[in-house]
Amino acid sequence: MRRSPGFALAIPAWVWLALFFVAPVGMVVWFSFGYKPGIFGTHANDVLSLERYAEALSPTFFSTFQNTLWVGIAGTTLCLLIGMPVAYWMAVKVRPERRGILIALVLVPFWTNFLVRTIGWQVLLAPEGWVSTLLQAVGVTQGPLEILYTRTAVLIGVVYNYLPLMILPLFVAFDRVGGPLREASKDLGAGRWRTFFRVTLPLAGPGVVAGVLLVFIPLMGDYITATVLGGAKGNMVGQLVASQFQAAQNWALGSAMAVLLILVITATIAVGAAIVWLILLPIRRRNRLVLGDAPPPSDPPAAAERELQGVGA
Amino acid sequence: MTLRQTERPTVRRARPSWSDVALTVWGVLVFIFLFAPIAVIIVSSFNGGRLLVAWDGFSIAPFLAIVAKPAVQSAVLVSIQTGLIAAVFATLLGTLAGIAMARHPGKWVYWFLGLLLLVSVTPEIVDAVALLPWLVFLGQDLGLTVFGNGIVRLVVGHSLFAIAVVSYIVRARLVGMDAQLEEASGDLYAKPLTTFRRVTLPLAMPAVLAGFLLSFTLSLDNTVIAAFVQVSGTTPWPVYVFSALRSGLRPEIAAVSTLMLLLTLVALAAVALVLKRAGDSATQIARTLGGG
Repeated sequence: MRRSPGFALAIPAWVWLALFFVAPVGMVVWFSFGYKPGIFGTHANDVLSLERYAEALSPTFFSTFQNTLWVGIAGTTLCLLIGMPVAYWMAVKVRPERRGILIALVLVPFWTNFLVRTIGWQVLLAPEGWVSTLLQAVGVTQGPLEILYTRTAVLIGVVYNYLPLMILPLFVAFDRVGGPLREASKDLGAGRWRTFFRVTLPLAGPGVVAGVLLVFIPLMGDYITATVLGGAKGNMVGQLVASQFQAAQNWALGSAMAVLLILVITATIAVGAAIVWLILLPIRRRNRLVLGDAPPPSDPPAAAERELQGVGA
Repeated sequence: MTLRQTERPTVRRARPSWSDVALTVWGVLVFIFLFAPIAVIIVSSFNGGRLLVAWDGFSIAPFLAIVAKPAVQSAVLVSIQTGLIAAVFATLLGTLAGIAMARHPGKWVYWFLGLLLLVSVTPEIVDAVALLPWLVFLGQDLGLTVFGNGIVRLVVGHSLFAIAVVSYIVRARLVGMDAQLEEASGDLYAKPLTTFRRVTLPLAMPAVLAGFLLSFTLSLDNTVIAAFVQVSGTTPWPVYVFSALRSGLRPEIAAVSTLMLLLTLVALAAVALVLKRAGDSATQIARTLGGG
């Protein structure tokens, strides 16, 4: 084992992924610089240009990109707001022996067929469906619920479909922080909100980042939820790409849209990361713990306070 | 001041604070939200009506309809067949890659992990539209007729993400364990292959089994890639449902979905059991089943 070249065992996986992931995706990138020749051709690459990208960003399709980005950001934010209290509750408040069953309860929807779950929502949200009947019975709405095949239905669908992907990493992160640190914070005089925002949440930061990325990336490329619940009003880029490859038979334009989708996802993550970094900059500076820097002898309480904040960060 | 601080915890333990109650209520509501559509599907599978959406009395007719419909049966069989082959395949490649990453670390591991990361974050629809022309190119332009076979195409499509998942899980398990056992085996003059078979593989086994079952479930679930690469005649179950969306969903679709849900639950319970017997905590199981 030791003498054999290290990566030899990984060669089959390398080859397989190169052949069926890198090569096809590379081909799509290559197609995106081409054009559609005539009615019967799907793509041609004898003249290379960026015109397909310009076409994909023309007003006809641009609104779909906007719509997708809106659903992506709103959906991820809602998942974070809904999922964080649940994950915190599961990791901190629930008795440890019940934790296993709760995790199982999060995993069951997550591993249930994605399409089937979404169809469940189609049944629920239909104008003559259960939610509509319930809301009318209670008196919240007068007529039947006209929500199916709108952007709101897509938003509900994606929040539902990706919520477990937010809860699981957050749960793992909150669970790792552990009780002793929280108790230490409270012993040092911090209230429970202050403990959450100054101790638990900063330490769970990587879990928050993981959850946001795990939700945002697949959500932006979603195809099924928008097709089942969105109709014409809730269009997303995934459907646009699919329709160019299937109905319109314009592989060049579809490829450009697919590449743009990946670029939009990457750019949004970069911008989001920059914004978070800027927001946290003053907090980080305030909480910085300086080691080896002798505190001014005249002012011992201030030094003690600084150290305390450093622990809380 | 000091007195109040020491007293506070005892008060909290005696009577739950409003924030604890709010958290519990919120948690329960979210779990209801998570199970609402699944409950709807299970209930709908006992719908005696003609359409899934309109409730028309309790009946087991949808389950009987499965028996009468060869198209439904063949779709389910294609799904299970593809799932098993794709899972074997992904487990084989992923296990080897995971062991290589854990036991032969080096610069290449970062490149490989980068590739796996790309595979897992690329939107499925991009994989799907990329694989379709690629398989046509391999099958027709290069004359590799094997890529015209429906099952082969589905296995190729379903294996990509599954390989990444298995590699992560196996690597994570072995990285957490010392390589001393393998070294000891080598010191005792075991041949490399024997060490691999008798020491490394058994150590990785829980992760390998978990990876196999997860790959199987992932493949059963796959709709997007399958819809693009499938050949008529070997339509897997999710694609059958997806095309039935346009013509109207009938209750037997809910009935089959309920049965498939049971299959998934059995697979997941098996994963949890395997991991638990291997000594994983609830948190570790959550991480593994959350896809690494």
